Amino acid sequence: MIKDFQCSKNRLVISFCGEIDEFASRSLRVELDDLIERYRARQVVFDFKDVAFVDSTGIGLVIGRYKNSRNFGVELLLQNVPNNIDRIFKSCGLYKYIPKVG
Amino acid sequence: MKNYFNMQIPAIGENEAFLRNTLANFVLCLSPTVEQINDMKTAVSEIVTNAVVHAYEQASIVAESGKIDVYAEIDGKELYVKIADFGCGIDDIEKARQPLWTSKPDEERSGMGFTIAETFVDSLTVSSRPMNGTVVEIRKTF
Repeated sequence: MIKDFQCSKNRLVISFCGEIDEFASRSLRVELDDLIERYRARQVVFDFKDVAFVDSTGIGLVIGRYKNSRNFGVELLLQNVPNNIDRIFKSCGLYKYIPKVG
Repeated sequence: MKNYFNMQIPAIGENEAFLRNTLANFVLCLSPTVEQINDMKTAVSEIVTNAVVHAYEQASIVAESGKIDVYAEIDGKELYVKIADFGCGIDDIEKARQPLWTSKPDEERSGMGFTIAETFVDSLTVSSRPMNGTVVEIRKTF
């Protein structure tokens, strides 16, 4: 789920918490699209610091936001990815498309 | 040491977290590393999610069953998990196991479920009969 978000200088940082699986992604998808649409920042950053678990559905969710953002000229970035989630993202080559910035 | 459990639960989204966290508790007696627990949770979650998302999408099948059957066994240092559903089955298992392939391309599915599950366990086998269900078996040594 979304823990909090901050928007400043055309940069929207959205922090997640808990577990991002298929069930969680159902509502998260709508909430994220609402936020991104509302703030229309040039750069959107997903922060995974407080996320305990992500599976392939979570990856699908991130890729889906990446595709939508790209259509609007918005850059999507990832940050604070814990080790266990980093391994899953790497195994899918996610960073080739969506850079990790710290 | 030998230990096992068997349960049947509805194939609903709420049970994805329940099952992977139940399995995580089950293997605690093997003194796993955090990494081993995470790997096992990831694999289990992928398989259960497949059953929730795909097995019972046809209304006629939901009316009849909509269950997931989980059998887990610890023998020595090895965990064996069998996750079965009684749903629509998989027509082409080889295709379903290919990275990035999804039967629902319009739904933002990554198509990485089986690939990720396979990456994080020692072995993964899939058997399925159309309209009878799918059985996925994983083994992981701790």
